Amino acid sequence: MRGANSAKWVAGAIVIALAATACGGSDDDSSSSGKGAGKAGGTFRLGITEPVAIDPYNSQESEGILVTDNLFTGLYEPTADGKVIPALATSKEVSADGKTWTFKIKPGTKFSNGEAVDAESFIRGWNRVAQKTAASDVAYHLAGIAGFDDVQAGKATTMSGLSAPDANTLQVKLSAPDFEFYVKTTHTVFSPVPKVAGDAKNKTYNEAPIGNGPFKMQGSWQHNKSITLVRNDSYGLTKAKLDEVKIEILNSNNGVTLEYQGFEAGTFDWARMPTPQLPAAKAKYDAQGEWIDENTNGMNYLLPITDNGPLKDKKAREAISYAIDRDAIIKGVFQGMQTKSTTILPPAFTSVYQKDLCQSCIKSDPAKAKQLAKEAGLTPGTTIELGYNTGAGHEEWIQAVKQQVEKVLGVKVKATGKPFAELLADQQKPGATGMYRFAWGADYPTPDNFLYPLLDTASINKDASGKVTGDNRGRYSNPAFDALLAKARATEAEAGRNDLYKQAEKLAMDDMALIPLWNRTQLRLANTKKFADIKMDFHEDPNLAEISLK
Amino acid sequence: MGRYVVRRLGQLVVVVLGATMILFACLFVLPGDPVGQIAGSDKARDPAVIAQLHKQYGLDDPLIVQYGNYVGKLVQGDLGEDYTQSRPVSEILGPKLANTAKLATAAIVLDIIIGISVGVLAAMRRYSIWDVSATFVTTLAIGVPSIVLGMIMQRVFVIELGWFPLIADDSFNSIVLPAVTLAIIDAALVAQLARSTMLEVLGADYVKTAVAKGLPRRTVLTRHILRNSVIPVITYLGISFGGLLGGAIITETIFNWNGIGLALIQAIQQNNNPVIVGVVTISVAVFVVLNLVVDLLYAALDPRIRLA
Repeated sequence: MRGANSAKWVAGAIVIALAATACGGSDDDSSSSGKGAGKAGGTFRLGITEPVAIDPYNSQESEGILVTDNLFTGLYEPTADGKVIPALATSKEVSADGKTWTFKIKPGTKFSNGEAVDAESFIRGWNRVAQKTAASDVAYHLAGIAGFDDVQAGKATTMSGLSAPDANTLQVKLSAPDFEFYVKTTHTVFSPVPKVAGDAKNKTYNEAPIGNGPFKMQGSWQHNKSITLVRNDSYGLTKAKLDEVKIEILNSNNGVTLEYQGFEAGTFDWARMPTPQLPAAKAKYDAQGEWIDENTNGMNYLLPITDNGPLKDKKAREAISYAIDRDAIIKGVFQGMQTKSTTILPPAFTSVYQKDLCQSCIKSDPAKAKQLAKEAGLTPGTTIELGYNTGAGHEEWIQAVKQQVEKVLGVKVKATGKPFAELLADQQKPGATGMYRFAWGADYPTPDNFLYPLLDTASINKDASGKVTGDNRGRYSNPAFDALLAKARATEAEAGRNDLYKQAEKLAMDDMALIPLWNRTQLRLANTKKFADIKMDFHEDPNLAEISLK
Repeated sequence: MGRYVVRRLGQLVVVVLGATMILFACLFVLPGDPVGQIAGSDKARDPAVIAQLHKQYGLDDPLIVQYGNYVGKLVQGDLGEDYTQSRPVSEILGPKLANTAKLATAAIVLDIIIGISVGVLAAMRRYSIWDVSATFVTTLAIGVPSIVLGMIMQRVFVIELGWFPLIADDSFNSIVLPAVTLAIIDAALVAQLARSTMLEVLGADYVKTAVAKGLPRRTVLTRHILRNSVIPVITYLGISFGGLLGGAIITETIFNWNGIGLALIQAIQQNNNPVIVGVVTISVAVFVVLNLVVDLLYAALDPRIRLA
């Protein structure tokens, strides 16, 4: 819900006046989490905006996932720094061809209504999402499971690839090899559900999901008002320490402002901040150890169209990159609170991060930019399109990029702001040229979740009219890159796989398939006076299950 | 009188239909796919899912068919289903309308009490220090935008002093600041209006006559002066109350007051057309009904006004 949109007539001015963006960053290292053995108890309070869903079948943005993730526990979990650790899975086994996965599930754990969490409950949950009638936005995560297409087409009600040889064994047959399938199960869409869940449209359940996570619902979802979670004392893994989590649902227009004010007023224990308030907030709260900053898995790029137009030549793309003074923009527009990006993959993926892979990202170099532009035939006077979405706080830095590129290369940059949905449609159009504002965040911690959808030839996926239907909107296509990815996917050992991902990333970077701009650095305020062990998790939410009272 | 009311209610139907039709046409021509806005992630959605949602909400039908379907349901009291939560719009807006009504009533009561008493006192002590300062303060109050006022109140009374809750709950405390924010500007206007009409009436011949024929001061004041001065004030309050019920967008946003103003602005951002149309339909209906009430009150206060 954070994208831009077509704010209309009456609201325009008010929206602009009230809009508070949720981005920011900092390159200072400061840890604010408390140390020491925390006590159980306490109510943790925070504000979010109205989630799309809090039930696994359709939970999707960080607000909804915050709730779902604490109500449900699946096979594996992502750690904040991009690793995958077992949750309910006690072991995993994959066949030599990478198509059959066998998971052993920890026996004896229960849903909060007392029902057993067994292999059947996983199968139930996954089939529930896959149903055509569920119209789930996140069902595609299950697409690799054999029989998914039949369920989506309405030809079957259960996926043929799922079976339970015994109560604690879950067998998953895939339609294509995937040695990373277990990583995908970190997504909440792979949660188990109890029998009472019924089908995906069961509102009674979806408003007050019964799960097997560290917390359970108290009452049901009070739309636009609040959601209350309480500790699940029968939780099968390490029990949470907090007694209660009180989540206020704030309106999205000034939600971030309210969060910040709520923190100042002592109403909230966790908050985001409006960008203009960042310096003041940092000055005040960093000193008190209540400031958290993390490089998360979100990345910001310029997306160059590589098959057509002025940026077809990779030297032209490199010229653009050299022409941009990222440091100046970070200082001038982001008030020093973003970090420059020099890679395609996020620094949060520590095992594959290759700092400074993008040479042209490190420092602006007008001379080099001019030289490369000349070699690429990017002549002064050429017009380059630059599309971006309005209303989401991108206007200022887009203007800065436009000015820098125009000044250095003598080209004309035509920056066009559009509502978000239109921007996405523009990128897909046959014959699109130039570049676009672009960002990507991972659903699960694997480099594949960046490299494959954004850069693999198969992800261009043009339809009959030439419209790009995949996420590879830059139309980057390099057989050598595709081969490396395919090889990585077919490699069972994680170390070997990561090495191939690194090679693939380097290849794409040498081709300037994407122009990195800045990493998504997320900033939060956390009440470390009252609570210990507060950190930001993989989804940029507080790690509720681990927070304790001081 | 009865026929008049029936005719006015007939007008209501026409106005509501007209307003919804214009709005429908506007929403139809404006860019942006409502379905594309439901999930706001940076990722494209599965085209099959989008197609299914389009079908589910009848978004592929021509404008006239969509409008026909809407009106067909509207006459049965059905405002349609919203895009983001798949719940009936009436179920979503019902409690919000109640919340807004609560806030609007509190504000209008403050308007009446503060506005009329300040205005009347100022008029009765014309050019006194009281009158001059009342004029000064009310002029100042009218000039301050409610967004500024609201944010100042929030900063001072919520964050610095901690007297009121930041997030509205069901307590009496949480209504105070938004109601005062809403009321201040209107109350200032009411005070100025009350003062000037009162001064006009004070100078009228019938007041002089009443005084001359020896009526007690109190009777002159209540029967002749007050009664005649409040008529324009009531007109203003009626319109103002309608506006408040239509959603005090800025105030509700600042104070996170879960009313229809807030619902409207969120719906606009999400292209959630059923809710936008729903709020407007309700607002228009409320406005027309209130106008009718004001006109009826007129007749009651001033027998010279004939409704026909």
